[in-house]
Amino acid sequence: MTVGISDGIAQGFAVALDPTNLLYVFAGVLIGTVIGVLPGLGPTATIALLLPLTYTIEPATAVILLAGIYYGSMYGGTITSVLLRLPGEAASVVTTFDGYQMAKQGRAGPALGIAAIGSFVGGILSVLGLMLLAPPLADLAVSFGPPEYVALTALGILLVTYLGSGTPLKSLSMAALGLLLATMGQDPITGTTRFTFGSIALFDGLDFVAVAMGLFGVGEILHSLERTDKVQAVTRRITHIWPSRQDIRDSSGAIARGSVLGFVIGVLPGGGGVISSLASYALEKRRAKDPSRFGRGAIEGVAGPETANNASSTSAFIPLLTLGIPANVVLALIFGALLVQGVTPGPQLISEEPEIFWGVIASMVVGNVMLLVLNIPLVGVFVQLLRVRAGILAAFALLVTMAGVFSISNDSFDMWVVLVFGVIGWLMKKTGFEPGPLVLAFVLGEIMETAFRQSMLLSGGSLDIFVTRPLSGGLLAVMAAVVVISVVLARRRRAAFRQVDPDEEAGPDPEPAPGHEARRTAADVDTDVPSAPGDR
Amino acid sequence: MSASPSAPAPARHRRPARSQLRRIAPLLLLALGIAALLTARDMGLGELTAPGPGLWPAIAAALLSATAFVLLFLDPAEDYEPWTAGTARIVAGLAGLALFVVLFQTIGFVIPAFLLLFAWLRLLAGESWRMALVLAVAGALVLHLVFVVALGVPFPAGPVDQLLGA
Repeated sequence: MTVGISDGIAQGFAVALDPTNLLYVFAGVLIGTVIGVLPGLGPTATIALLLPLTYTIEPATAVILLAGIYYGSMYGGTITSVLLRLPGEAASVVTTFDGYQMAKQGRAGPALGIAAIGSFVGGILSVLGLMLLAPPLADLAVSFGPPEYVALTALGILLVTYLGSGTPLKSLSMAALGLLLATMGQDPITGTTRFTFGSIALFDGLDFVAVAMGLFGVGEILHSLERTDKVQAVTRRITHIWPSRQDIRDSSGAIARGSVLGFVIGVLPGGGGVISSLASYALEKRRAKDPSRFGRGAIEGVAGPETANNASSTSAFIPLLTLGIPANVVLALIFGALLVQGVTPGPQLISEEPEIFWGVIASMVVGNVMLLVLNIPLVGVFVQLLRVRAGILAAFALLVTMAGVFSISNDSFDMWVVLVFGVIGWLMKKTGFEPGPLVLAFVLGEIMETAFRQSMLLSGGSLDIFVTRPLSGGLLAVMAAVVVISVVLARRRRAAFRQVDPDEEAGPDPEPAPGHEARRTAADVDTDVPSAPGDR
Repeated sequence: MSASPSAPAPARHRRPARSQLRRIAPLLLLALGIAALLTARDMGLGELTAPGPGLWPAIAAALLSATAFVLLFLDPAEDYEPWTAGTARIVAGLAGLALFVVLFQTIGFVIPAFLLLFAWLRLLAGESWRMALVLAVAGALVLHLVFVVALGVPFPAGPVDQLLGA
């Protein structure tokens, strides 16, 4: 096994250091950082908008680019959290607590520096964990048959509905809609046309890329148009980015604990991002000799969560690359990009497409080094990006979307699909339905249906097959456990928010993500987090 | 549902109307689910031993209908964002995008792209006339170069294309 891993690593670096791929890693992390900073465009929207581009490049290169955008945005989101108290993406919310206080005390430089160093350490340790854990997990999963795939896909959809940020029931409803939309077009087994309404354009079903671009790209841009909050440009110079020896000593423990915590939480499907950074913050605060420093600019409160969220965004690739289950929406998009290329991520990926598996992993090492090098000296340049007005960005992003979606199959029908799903995506945001589960279910729908029908043929029509086979039965037991645990966690998380958020009442600024996150449990809650001001 | 205690004061007097209105979303989903269920039945459900083309869509549609039905009664009102004056801008923006697609199909990329950018930047983003004009001309030309010249995407032909040498 160890021989396989070291061979794999060598092959991976051969792929990642190929000049083309090196260029794409660089492009990915740069785009990621930029959109992490830019107002109104998050990693999900960006990856959705760039999907047509991935058609024309090698599968390994495509994933390298998209992964780079994902973890790059984690770095970029930190910048706005620290300087403006505006989390660029949900996982950076926790960073606003102490990071912004540090900036107010004139210590923005060390806050950003330690966040970059922590993210780097967390990312690298997480990549090492990924190398060691993924191959044995994939070996186990190779023996999966159709019933296991039904159970796995169901588990994946369930995890995203339960652990995502919306109300579970609404998310489940959207997942059902996604499964239904996936059946449009020809039946995969008999070839009968379904829900095509006599339209030839629908014979092949809806194009995944057009749906994702509509829901995430256009939908998100439209939604952000409604918000009018202005971003204040930062004119003050940021000095002393490289943290002092004392700063590093203060935060080294937080970085080490954050790496482990982030990795473990990220591996659990659906666990990445917000949960890991919150957990790390809570842990650091509990361990501190003087917890009252937290919320007043404690450097551990920046170092720990930033490390954890980057570690978890890397380890979240484990379920995708070994089991074929995307852990969150961003990974669902990467999953979709691979499917479009004819590569089905799953247990066979390591043996059948080693250059993708190892290449992507090695590119993460390279990408994290690039991010560290980019971030420490160039923070001042990135901050200037905040001057770009959201309206200009929206106009160009929409035009590029339209042109990009046409280029997929040179068909203007897809433009209408994007537009229709853009409207649906915007209305979903307005009404609290999450587009994530819909897209995930849409991606997994055909795999799930085919596997279900094969299982039925295998078992002679008996549903027992899902329960009696040990692996699928086990997976279904996991599903049941997830439902139970998620109910418990929802309670726990609310308590964590109370504990973690130091100045719930004090700050005048809206804190979009905590409110947003809290909506998940809104059904059975007295609204303890002040509604969702940022999500108006 | 359990919404009212923490609701902001100004919104309170409108609440009854809104709380009924918000049921439209689950109702639409329910209607969609039932319609899909009926269509799937007509496609032929088959047996579990030999599933027909309609079986799987029927399962998905049943799940959709069931969840939508429950949501009719159990939907937290805080999930819904109020409609604002900004909503009208979005509708206008969407109309602009639809017009862009129609024009694109008939006269190619460059002119509709310029018009879309110019109108959006001036009217929706509130840029100055000059800024909007410069950005729109530059944007349309650069994107034409990227998509048509560099990537070789066959956009529908239009009157400007001869000038740009496509």
